[in-house]
Amino acid sequence: MTEYAAKKFLQMLVTVLGIVTLVFFTLRLIPGDAASAMAGDTLSGEALERLREQLGLDAPLPLQYFGYLGDLLRGDLGETITTRIPIAELLFRALPITLSIALATIVLAVLISIPLGTLAAFMVHKGRRWLDNALTGAAMVIDLMPPFWTALVLLLVFSLGLGWFPASGQLNWNDPSSIMLRLALPVIVLSLSQVATLARITRTAVLDVLNEDYVRTARSLGWSELRVLFRHALKNAALPIATVVGLSFGNLLGGTVIVEFIFTIPGVGNLLITGINSRDYQLVQTLIVVYALVFVLINFTTDLVYRALDPRVQF
Amino acid sequence: MNYQARLANTMATTAHTLLEVRGLRTQFQTGSGIVTAVDGVSFTIERGERVAVVGESGSGKSAMAMSILRLLAHPGKVVGGQVLLEGRDINALSESQLNKVRGRQVGTVFQDPMSSLDPVMRVSKQMVEPMMRNLGIKRDEARAEAIKWLGKVGIPEPERRIDAYPFEMSGGMRQRVMIAMALSSRPQLVIADEPTTALDVTIQAQIVEVLKNLTSEAGAAMLFITHDLGLVARFAHKVAVMYAGRIVEFGRVEDIFARPCHPYTQSLLGTIPGTTMGKHERLPQISGLPPDMRKPILGCAFKDRCAGVHERCHAEAPALSDRGIEHDAACWLPKGLDSVAMLAPERSARAVVESAGTDKVIVELNALRKQFSTSKRMVVNAVNGVNLRVHRGETLGIVGESGCGKSTVARLLLGLEKPTSGDIYISGLAQMVFQDPASSFNPKMTIGAIVEEPLVVKRQGNRTERSAKVRELIEQVGLDPSHADRYPHQLSGGQRQRVAVARALALDPSVVVADEPTSALDVSVRAQIINLLVDLKQELGIGFVFISHDLLTVRYISDRIAVMYLGEVVEYGAAEEIFANPKHPYTRALIEAVPVPDPAIEARRINVPLQGELPSPLNLPIGCAFASRCPMATDLCRSTKPQLPNHDRARQVACHHAT
Repeated sequence: MTEYAAKKFLQMLVTVLGIVTLVFFTLRLIPGDAASAMAGDTLSGEALERLREQLGLDAPLPLQYFGYLGDLLRGDLGETITTRIPIAELLFRALPITLSIALATIVLAVLISIPLGTLAAFMVHKGRRWLDNALTGAAMVIDLMPPFWTALVLLLVFSLGLGWFPASGQLNWNDPSSIMLRLALPVIVLSLSQVATLARITRTAVLDVLNEDYVRTARSLGWSELRVLFRHALKNAALPIATVVGLSFGNLLGGTVIVEFIFTIPGVGNLLITGINSRDYQLVQTLIVVYALVFVLINFTTDLVYRALDPRVQF
Repeated sequence: MNYQARLANTMATTAHTLLEVRGLRTQFQTGSGIVTAVDGVSFTIERGERVAVVGESGSGKSAMAMSILRLLAHPGKVVGGQVLLEGRDINALSESQLNKVRGRQVGTVFQDPMSSLDPVMRVSKQMVEPMMRNLGIKRDEARAEAIKWLGKVGIPEPERRIDAYPFEMSGGMRQRVMIAMALSSRPQLVIADEPTTALDVTIQAQIVEVLKNLTSEAGAAMLFITHDLGLVARFAHKVAVMYAGRIVEFGRVEDIFARPCHPYTQSLLGTIPGTTMGKHERLPQISGLPPDMRKPILGCAFKDRCAGVHERCHAEAPALSDRGIEHDAACWLPKGLDSVAMLAPERSARAVVESAGTDKVIVELNALRKQFSTSKRMVVNAVNGVNLRVHRGETLGIVGESGCGKSTVARLLLGLEKPTSGDIYISGLAQMVFQDPASSFNPKMTIGAIVEEPLVVKRQGNRTERSAKVRELIEQVGLDPSHADRYPHQLSGGQRQRVAVARALALDPSVVVADEPTSALDVSVRAQIINLLVDLKQELGIGFVFISHDLLTVRYISDRIAVMYLGEVVEYGAAEEIFANPKHPYTRALIEAVPVPDPAIEARRINVPLQGELPSPLNLPIGCAFASRCPMATDLCRSTKPQLPNHDRARQVACHHAT
């Protein structure tokens, strides 16, 4: 296991290096540079050159690249170009919020969808399809609703109409209940589509396993259906489910950008939007790397979970 | 005394009766109708008795066995009948009550050992927990007991192997684990559903011995489902022959084999190429297909395939009736068919190319080697120096167990793989017939297009010429030309295999390689395909390479046989001689392991199966590859590899001790 983890970790480092490199050069490929973007029409000639010098953009590209890598390795994420605030500081405030939303969403989605999907599979296996049909129908409706639309509807109904949840306001980490109220709607919006996906995956995975010969073997030994369902079926079905949970966690990060914007939550998503709007190359570049890092970390965790669940996984 | 009366009588003598099944009915509700898979089956099993249930796929034998413990998954459902276990109707029990019978009073062994054990759970866990529950013992005690059972079923180092995962074991080992699991709770009845079908013949022989010895040691009775009549002869006390959901004949093994009374049983026994059958006799075959079980069957279910059919069969279905001591059959004719010889089809009237005496070599393999590299930079020696020749009009049979390299030889012959070294000479063209006709055709192509495809690929002829050729080929393999417009799923397995043969013949090959062409087929259909291949060989004078693990079929169809072990040919010679006088210990063990459908022969045999399993082809031994399992092995065998003598000789044996 340790050897496996070490190997996967090394793979992860290589991936991260690749991402950083890709992001760095892609941003440099865009016509114009940070300086001209920032200056717009206001500066020209010498003033622009001075700004470039200030930003370190006059150095040769490889030098900039290795300088950037060195900064990253030291944990120096740089400053925003416009406001000169250390990016690490911004992230320190924003990242916990975004991660809380994403984690809460996944936990909520898993808690709802796995029992639901398992039950649906079990009933289909016994020849009763109504829950499965209901689930499929509901999932289709949810898939047809784009998250930004659901978010707006929930905002209108529950915050502005019924006033159950605050629509804006500061996030105070010392007051957990206020945070929960504030994040409830975004989490619900994101959970909806996660539940739809995960419940269907769970249903299919469990149903497949229920048709396996070893389930029949367990039944032939006299185990009750429920024990067979939990001890054998769910354990084997956990393999494909874990993969999908890992992948959807990544997709969720994209979803957080939208809900943070709509519910005005000061997370990484809003930071990214601000960065893009103010053409803050440094900020955008760092945030993309952060997103990628989170994504890669999740994949790494999924690999380890998978390996723990399935003894057959080899390197 | 008729069957019903005797059933009533057995109720009085329940002291000996362990299981009594009465009027069992099982249905599957499918999208296209209700299939009555088990249609009123009744029989009894005495304590300690081994009853075999034989029948072709779809006869309802597995559904019947699974119905006894209600282990069928939806949409299968037991809809009627009684299952009396020691006089108690377990079919009337609730699920939770039945769970106390499952595993405890009745143990079950399933067909596919590769998929019947939970892949993410250690063997120890899968074994120990049911034992704790069923025997009411503590964990340590159960573990000790489990280790004991693993030792009994022949797992080496059981103390260590008990903590393995199933994927760390071979198929044979997994089936041993299954048997240990089924027996460890000391059941009175063991239901074994084709327990050896997925295994190689020497492993099958070992497993059968284990099952036989351990159940009789424990005094447990056994219900054994199989399609292999040879196994029945080796194994069972009584046989139930099933056809279309019903038992058509039931009786003691000796009686059924010596005096079968139902035409279906008679035909089945006739379709197996026996050990005494001459080369030039045709195999009797059962024409037609089993009935569509979705529709109600009027009269006898076998009437459309029966040579003894008469008016009454169409109107009324015969019930089981008395044919002797403990012998019942469901047929209006008291003794069934007079002779099965009439089932052997006439040889087609087309010209027969006399193949005997041709010595033109059409295929020659010289020092052929094929190595595969694995991910861990290990080398698998799949084919390890093979020399073989096929003459014009000759059938070469290649036999051996899985992993012996016989399929790799086929792939090399067809150029699907490049040999690592050695050379292949083929005069003309080689074509292939695959094992599974269902998966070797594109389901979206018509039969005509499938047969035509090789001609299109080789740009032969124009459209009209090609369609004329397709028509000719389809007729040549015994199908109606109207089949050309159908799709593969509309044909039966036997018909599909005929199409595969037609396609292989499209380009007028000089040699046809058939890799297990009959293993996916039922016994009654198998004979049709074998007869077809024999006819074609004689009509067209082409060479055949027939690869199979089914020794009886290989013996019947082949002129010469090459026995392969671990990538090498260990014995080669004329088919009759190899079988009559096998010289290599492996050939001898292989022939010994094959169950013969004759209880008299089986009873005379002393079954000491070949021990151990095929060694890993990763690190081949320096000496004889077979030394690790050979009863005759000496130091010489372990240090020096025996070579096949000059391959011009008619009989070759690679063994230091062969005489």
